[in-house]
Amino acid sequence: MTANQYDAIIIGGGHNGLVAASYLARAGKKVVVLERRPIVGGAAVTEEIFPGYKFTEFSYVVSLLRPEIIRDLELPKHGLKILPLPSTFTPMENGDYLAAWDDHDLTRRELYRHSPKDAEAYDEYARVMARAAKAIKPIINLIPPDPSSMSIRDLMGLLKVGQYAASLSEKELYMVAKLATQSSADLLEEWFETDALKGTKAASGIIGTYLGPRSPGTAYVLLHHYMGEIDGAFRAWGFAKNGSGGVSGSIYNASQALGVEVRVNASVQQVKVKGGRAVGVILENGDELDSKVVMSAADPKRTFLQFVEQKHLPDDFVTSIQNFRARGSSGKINIALSKLPNFTALPYTGNGANSVLHRGAVSISPSIDYIERAYDDAKYGQISKRPYIDMIFPSMIDPDMAPPGHHVMSCFVQYAPYDLEGGWTDQRRDELGEAVIATIEQYAPNIRECIVGMQVISPKDIERIAGITGGNIFHGELLLHQIFFLRPTPQWADFRTPLKGYYFGASGAHPGGGVMGAPGMLAAKEILKDGML
Amino acid sequence: MSHYDNIIIGAGHNGLVAAAYLAKQGKKVLVLERRSIIGGSVVTESFGDNFSVDSLHTGGTLRPDIIKDLKLASYGLQPDSAPQPFITLLADGSPLTLDVESIKRISEKDAARFPEFVRFMNKAAQIMDVTYSTIMPRLPMNFGFKEGYGLLEWALELKLAGRKDMLNFIRALPMTAQELVEEYFESDIVKAAICAVAIHGSTLGPMGAGTGYTLIHSWMNRGGLAHKNVGKAGEITTALANAVKAFGGEIRTEAEVASIKIENQIAKGVVLINGEEISANQIFSAADPKHTLLKLVGAQDLPPEFVWHTQSIKMRGSVAKIHLQTNGNHGIPEGTLVVAPSIKYLEKAYDATKYGEVSEEPYLEVTTSGNTISIHFQFAPYALKSGDWKLEIKKVEELAINSLSEYFPNLRASISNLKSLSPLDLEQTYGLTEGDLNHGQLMLDQFLFMRPIPGWSNHKTPIDNLYLCGSGVHGGGGVSGAAGRNAAKSVR
Repeated sequence: MTANQYDAIIIGGGHNGLVAASYLARAGKKVVVLERRPIVGGAAVTEEIFPGYKFTEFSYVVSLLRPEIIRDLELPKHGLKILPLPSTFTPMENGDYLAAWDDHDLTRRELYRHSPKDAEAYDEYARVMARAAKAIKPIINLIPPDPSSMSIRDLMGLLKVGQYAASLSEKELYMVAKLATQSSADLLEEWFETDALKGTKAASGIIGTYLGPRSPGTAYVLLHHYMGEIDGAFRAWGFAKNGSGGVSGSIYNASQALGVEVRVNASVQQVKVKGGRAVGVILENGDELDSKVVMSAADPKRTFLQFVEQKHLPDDFVTSIQNFRARGSSGKINIALSKLPNFTALPYTGNGANSVLHRGAVSISPSIDYIERAYDDAKYGQISKRPYIDMIFPSMIDPDMAPPGHHVMSCFVQYAPYDLEGGWTDQRRDELGEAVIATIEQYAPNIRECIVGMQVISPKDIERIAGITGGNIFHGELLLHQIFFLRPTPQWADFRTPLKGYYFGASGAHPGGGVMGAPGMLAAKEILKDGML
Repeated sequence: MSHYDNIIIGAGHNGLVAAAYLAKQGKKVLVLERRSIIGGSVVTESFGDNFSVDSLHTGGTLRPDIIKDLKLASYGLQPDSAPQPFITLLADGSPLTLDVESIKRISEKDAARFPEFVRFMNKAAQIMDVTYSTIMPRLPMNFGFKEGYGLLEWALELKLAGRKDMLNFIRALPMTAQELVEEYFESDIVKAAICAVAIHGSTLGPMGAGTGYTLIHSWMNRGGLAHKNVGKAGEITTALANAVKAFGGEIRTEAEVASIKIENQIAKGVVLINGEEISANQIFSAADPKHTLLKLVGAQDLPPEFVWHTQSIKMRGSVAKIHLQTNGNHGIPEGTLVVAPSIKYLEKAYDATKYGEVSEEPYLEVTTSGNTISIHFQFAPYALKSGDWKLEIKKVEELAINSLSEYFPNLRASISNLKSLSPLDLEQTYGLTEGDLNHGQLMLDQFLFMRPIPGWSNHKTPIDNLYLCGSGVHGGGGVSGAAGRNAAKSVR
């Protein structure tokens, strides 16, 4: 083989691309990963935006990363270290707060303070959700079959889905069916009465979607976020040492140990096609690389509308990729702090180093109506005047993230619509930053005096920097008609594409986004099954 | 105490369909109706001299096989009436009929796509129709050959639809109506007019997931975009009542059921509000599931989890009706006309309901026949955050008339008589819990084997010999009669 001759080329050095490459290299294949940016990690990167302050620029918590990947690639050995996020703190509009601690009894007592009924219902709710998440989990590792196909592979796949369904009890099956279709507001209103509790829980159902908590289908997104596990502990959220860059960093280290070649500053212009097959890529600098197969870990639109000449793909397929919903709806505000903002609902003393709430997440989600109104703004192309914000203070968990005594703060904010009316400008970006600060100020009045530097990332910026078309953090919304055998499009949900030798293993494929790594792993396994290498 | 084979609670179209099928099998059948007239939601009433209107459902068509089975043609029902025009209003106020020729006026591209859209929708409606005529058994493997066979037939029908239509049908169900129409059309006015049909009677906006399903549902029930009228709504239920009687069944009006008599988890009969008791082997309730299970049965006789699920059924009516009698000089064209200028307009009209408010700029569907105008007003939520429907209904009347007058300035002066019905009236007069026309919202989590609640879509209830045959169970919603027929057929 010559220097530019590979078994497999992986486009995109995000976590999925690196996972796929590692699995292929593990099988003894010669693999190269091509990354457009000067660093690997894609949307899971840590960057020093202000000198001394490190930020996990886009994604910021870990939970969904598949345990089998951690095991197979021996990620802990390669530097993966997950630090738990012990609490969620929701300040309320009346000056009180609602907190969930990692101590179950403490949480129960806290809930009891707000509503004895909710405290009673809480355990049962948690049990039901955990059961539902466990029931749905086997689907994550299934290769979605095409129900309209009569091929043996698809029929076997359907049989597997049938077997899976039959393995559930009647109750579990209905639970899953209901959770897959209802709105998170409807789900939560059946259980609870405390607004702040419902608001905070409902927030998991809107992450990365262009939907409000009253939109049907959001309960599924909520459930998707329940599927996380850290070291086998269900529904645990953590923060990776060195941020999300620490996650992709460890996968990168693993890939290096397995002999994967990674090229940065290597932007792909086009997939080379010969005799109806993908046979390599052409880079923007004109370099050509040859391979037996090519896998894209970019979003579906770049994968199929940009990298491949349209004449190689059926018209129907192109249309359905054009129709794939990938509307970014969230922004990210990364703030460098000289001190911690002090929340009036539970003020800290001293410099706040001992503050418990700052060690966990702070959620601005006082009620379902609050989030729904934030969505109403976005629905008509506006930035939410009072957005939902999920804050964490990574420097409280990992002091290496900021200079001594100083802090970094990461604010996930929704909604910031990609299709902003009038378009995104510097001024509109400032407006988003101001909406976030003004909102936080209601609960932590000293926030402005703490700020040393602030980076505002709009969905347009996510698109520009991370290369995700539409700036959707999941590469495509987790809508009912965009999951399982419909993701990214019907008939092509098995990681293969209409172009032979071209594979698709990114968040836009089954089972979806959220730093899971599953699409990359499953795609690599399918590539190996096809025996073209 | 008199005794019957079957008692049917409610003489709406589903109750009557069930009664007719049962009577046809030779059963001794009694239908009990609360009101002094039969018809339920499918009723024609007089509110004054020459002021006779279809109070709730304007027209509708029963399933053709029901018309045939029950020989309804011999009672004057015409199964194959021509569809009415479906009209929307352009920004300048001029009407636009939704057909290829008229759409050309605003978009050549949309006109070219229209036939393919209609073809797909007809196909989807056909698949939906087969879905509704299949009784959804309990899942997963807890059903016998007969039920399994029905499911198999259904799966076969899906396969026969062809690969592309089948996948597109499945995909369309959870989609938003907006997404669905955007795959075909570019003009907002055409898209919005179709979206209006998708949200008709449902408490969701066109940007809500699952309105793809409600569009197909409405399309199936109407036979297209416009209501396909077989005549006055009351003619449907009158023909059905005649069929019931011809097969030897009895119908009693002003006979309100107070409770269902239950002994050892078995339904034995009913008790009327005047204290009269009537016994029967089987009871069919065409009332909505919440009313049937929580009021007529009562929580004390049901398993706690079942009660919890029943309480959680989403009813959420948000429709008010305003009927106008005019001197005819109103300027509104005959047929079905919608005030739905844009998708955003419809979505904003819906937004109000989320916070318990009446839409200031409502979506209206106006059915006009000569001097009589019926306005379907959305959204007027049953659960108002503040205010009382007895007073608020005046505001709704004004909003409706003002909104229409913008396009038809002569309307107000032409009005001679008016009758309006609030969501509270829908509950109190017509017995629809929370004013929900469909006995439960048509949403994906209340669809197929989850309607009315998960596991109980096969017309059965935890009470032996008590069956559900109304719109609230699978097959229901709209004027098709599928729920009533399926219920009657599920019992041997």
